[in-house]
Amino acid sequence: MQFFLDSTLYSYAQIFFSNRKWFGAAILVASFSTPLLGLMALLGVLISNLVAYILKFDAEKIRSGFYGFNGILFGASTAFYFELNNLLLLLIPIFIIITFLISAVLEHYLETAFNLPGLSLPFVISVYIFVIFLTNYNFIIPNIHQYGVDSTSSSLTYYMEIYFKSLSLIIFQPEITAGIIIIVAILIFSRVLFVLSIVAFVLNVLLLNFILPNHFDNLLILSSFNSILAAFALGGSLIIPSRKSFMLVILSSLMVVIFTGFFSRLLSGSLFPLLVLPFNFIVLATIYSLKFRKDQTDLVLLYFKPGSPEENFYYHQKRKARFENFKYLFPELPFFGEWKVSQGFNGEHTHKDDWKYALDFVVVDKNNSQYSNEGLKLEDYYCYSLPVTSPLDGEIVRIVSSVRDNEPGDINLQQNFGNTIIISHQYGLFSSISHLKSDSIKVKEGDKIKKGDIIGNCGNSGRSPYPHIHFQFQLNDKIGDKTHLFPISHFIEKENGKTYLRTFAYPKENSIAQNLDVHKTIKDAFDFKIGDKLNFKYELEGKELEESWEVKVDIYNQLYIESSSNAKAEIYLTDKVFYFTSYIGEKNTALYFFYLVAAQVPLCFQEDLYWDDTFSISLLPIGSIRYLAEIFLFYKNMLSTRGEFTFEEDEETQNYFIKSDIIVMGSGLFAFYKKQFNGIVKIDEHDGLKEFEINGDKNLLFKATKTK
Amino acid sequence: MSTKKRYERPIITKYQSGLMNKFGSGPSAKAKTSIDEVAVSKLVEEYGSPLFVMSERQLRNNQQNAIRIFRTRYPKVQFAWSYKTNYLNAVCSVFHQEGSLAEVVSEFEYDKAKLLGIKGSNIIFNGPDKSRAALQKAIKDNAKIHIDHFDELYEIIDLCNSENLKANVAIRVNMDVGVYPLWDRFGFNYENGEAWQAIKRIMSEKSLKLTGLHTHIGTYMMTAEAYRIAASKLASLANSIKREFDIKLDYIDMGGGFASNNTLIGQYLPAEQIIPSMEQYADAISSGMFEMNATGSDLPALILETGRALVDNAGYLITTVLANKRLSTGRRAIIIDAGVNILFTSFWYKHKISPAQESGVHVEDSSLYGPLCMNIDLIRESILLPAVKKGEHLVIEDVGAYAMTQWMQFITMRPNVVMIMQDGTVELIRKSEALNYILDRELLPKQLKLK
Repeated sequence: MQFFLDSTLYSYAQIFFSNRKWFGAAILVASFSTPLLGLMALLGVLISNLVAYILKFDAEKIRSGFYGFNGILFGASTAFYFELNNLLLLLIPIFIIITFLISAVLEHYLETAFNLPGLSLPFVISVYIFVIFLTNYNFIIPNIHQYGVDSTSSSLTYYMEIYFKSLSLIIFQPEITAGIIIIVAILIFSRVLFVLSIVAFVLNVLLLNFILPNHFDNLLILSSFNSILAAFALGGSLIIPSRKSFMLVILSSLMVVIFTGFFSRLLSGSLFPLLVLPFNFIVLATIYSLKFRKDQTDLVLLYFKPGSPEENFYYHQKRKARFENFKYLFPELPFFGEWKVSQGFNGEHTHKDDWKYALDFVVVDKNNSQYSNEGLKLEDYYCYSLPVTSPLDGEIVRIVSSVRDNEPGDINLQQNFGNTIIISHQYGLFSSISHLKSDSIKVKEGDKIKKGDIIGNCGNSGRSPYPHIHFQFQLNDKIGDKTHLFPISHFIEKENGKTYLRTFAYPKENSIAQNLDVHKTIKDAFDFKIGDKLNFKYELEGKELEESWEVKVDIYNQLYIESSSNAKAEIYLTDKVFYFTSYIGEKNTALYFFYLVAAQVPLCFQEDLYWDDTFSISLLPIGSIRYLAEIFLFYKNMLSTRGEFTFEEDEETQNYFIKSDIIVMGSGLFAFYKKQFNGIVKIDEHDGLKEFEINGDKNLLFKATKTK
Repeated sequence: MSTKKRYERPIITKYQSGLMNKFGSGPSAKAKTSIDEVAVSKLVEEYGSPLFVMSERQLRNNQQNAIRIFRTRYPKVQFAWSYKTNYLNAVCSVFHQEGSLAEVVSEFEYDKAKLLGIKGSNIIFNGPDKSRAALQKAIKDNAKIHIDHFDELYEIIDLCNSENLKANVAIRVNMDVGVYPLWDRFGFNYENGEAWQAIKRIMSEKSLKLTGLHTHIGTYMMTAEAYRIAASKLASLANSIKREFDIKLDYIDMGGGFASNNTLIGQYLPAEQIIPSMEQYADAISSGMFEMNATGSDLPALILETGRALVDNAGYLITTVLANKRLSTGRRAIIIDAGVNILFTSFWYKHKISPAQESGVHVEDSSLYGPLCMNIDLIRESILLPAVKKGEHLVIEDVGAYAMTQWMQFITMRPNVVMIMQDGTVELIRKSEALNYILDRELLPKQLKLK
């Protein structure tokens, strides 16, 4: 029962690209402003979902409303275009099933063949079939509901009426009430869509009057609602909202006018109503063409499970900030201990042009000197003869090992790269380490090696005046090949006296870098494995509550934690860092607060280590200020978030802590706004994760303790 | 006006020809007028003489260099400060601030570390003498207990079973590394299978968790190769443990014993020319460690308990000349106010000793006596020193290790210890003893009271 209620409400919400049940309910109510139409719409969705259920289509997809919304539109349209009679009432359910079948085929085909959404195309096709089929009965005549506007004045009320009616007509409601309910629901659901609906409408009025001055009244409503729907799709729902997507909306409004003009002429004299044809055509064509751009960094098409346009925006921003350089290989630095980057990318000596993505490393003491004594002997140099390790698992493909080491200050230009090892890794990636010590290479071509294995020693061969390692990634097994930009998955970087965790990043020139040293206690606390169960107790609004978590995995091998409070958070674990990647659920569960305070945790322990992270604004407990800010989202995101994390240790209680400051800051109009949360995760040496809490303005917001 | 030239009484030195001095480091008449830019005279003026001086800068340098040297050769390295070498709180704290654990060999040291704020799991409890009460405390604190003998192992098992405790333990292993005499009085022997017996016994006990292996092959080791052999033997033991019991050890503790820059009595060449460098020790140990069948984060941590090599050259003893005299042979003797009771290490080291003020270029072979009214109070039997006058100062170098733990109150009181901080300020870190320090401990039976 719950399933059918859910699938029904989600189907209604889907029409406006929403994924909220309450939104669906609002549309359902709106559709009953003309009860007969509402009834037929409801019939459409119920039959569609029931058939999908009986035929055992993917239950999750049915629930999401994927198969139901075309049924709503079809159901409503039948009563909108025809006077109902017994025969029709008999035929309509059959056609609803046909609509469902068409949508099942078409959605699937568009998705697999073009990776496009089906939109309401199935509904359009099915209406056309229905209309033609009905010509078999000469006694059934179309009886279109009046949806025009009575007054012809060009006053504001006139246009407001048109605006509301355009919205009503999306669900085939001729009444203005439906439009008012819809727009209120949209405003609550998404400020972005609200702004888009007004912009699209205004543009459409201006453009239509300009381009087709002699249009008939109904065309204004028809092109307006197509324009609004196209704006929703291209401005925020299928594309991440941005200034550029706003520009796209202006363009699409223009196209809607053109194509409304085109289709209305094409279909005039035929039986076919115009419906949402322009919207479907323009959106599908635009989205499809955007996929062929070489650079997809702006006008980003939705690549994840959609929420509201705002949520999409925040999710994308967060993902870009956290995982822009993410790769499925996790290389580390090719040495033990702390080394200094003596020449970084685009370095002044040799890292230029095709070789710009190379790194040189040396060892320095705390006075920044590379050697002890006078530095006249190779042995004086701290890095000379130190072990060099493999950055990743791989196979040795090429070795040069017998070039003589230069005396300090000399260089060998004949054998530029000196003693070199080239390792082949997965996915066609190669790494190359050069200037190794003469005859120090401990591996041979064909050897399979593991990440961290010692492969040779640092030396001073080739074009190397002083001992150092030259390290680069490349796409070939040639010595001295063009360098390839590839991030080091995790490392610790010392810069200006502070120590930072870097993930999927590139060590900077003159910084001191080292690999993460996995700490057993921290690792054990965050090494979530499938089937792990944890229980927490906490107090909320005076009530003692309990929550249990279980670690599960979905078909895409994505690990997630599911809580007894119906929340779900996806996690990602590399060999050395734990990440929360998403959270879905209420903002008062233990899992939610844990998601905030443990957004990212390196599995090491170093007391002065700092790391930062970003959050989706929609996932922070900051109340309604963001709704206001979202009105301006197209112009600028005026609220930003930042989490700063560090480790602490309590010697006495033998506990480790992860402390976090989560800061929400306003800018521009919202510069007055600042809110800060402080989180603490307590990790016990034996029990692992012990408790966590979050404070806002020095008041405890939440505290949970693990129970057995 | 020029300052008045210093007067030095004339000396007659017998001319000696044909004596070998090819390797000699030469008579050192170079004055050591300041320590870390703080004038010796100023230190004495403020804190008296004799005076122990520790250099914070040198301590940190030593530790940071050692960390750099080891961490660039092995991925997981952890130092543990050897309390017995110098357990002044200020010294321990410097090492703890540099990230060291505490390595203790008695309940007293254990409690001292705890009072400094070191948590149990960061304390390594070594040594043959651990009372039942001390073990109980350490087990409850989750300390790393390094078992020395079977009786201790049984005691721990008994404790755990009777009180339902779980203990993290390691065993100390002794072995033949080619340096004699063998230090086989500590721990379980590797070659005769005793160590393996102990491991099997631990494995059969649910309440015990074997977290590591420990060895300490000796002290003032003059060959790095011995460490490679030791590390390789422990690695093979760890491999066996992994094979037989599928247990990954948390750490291998290679102990300490690295030599410092002090030359031993009876050693012909100066220390700096023959002792291995820290790099050589590190190369040897890491190459032995890598014989382990593990890579990456599966490798056990390498723990080092180096004491002497990290602290010796950070300690100085300033002393004052009490008298010059001639022995019956005509040999010069200098009497200073620091005796063997506060410089125990002079029994085995030829400490470097320099005048604390500029003097003439002529040096004379002299004997250096302490102030005690005991014949054994000899700081150096033979040292070439320029003329020094009563009231002038000498600086004895490289006294950071053991001197301040093995010293005793005997005839004289133990003096002040100061630390020259990195910013150049001087802090008193141990107050000199006074009469009431002795009297506080003494009880006089009533009937013995005079008057």
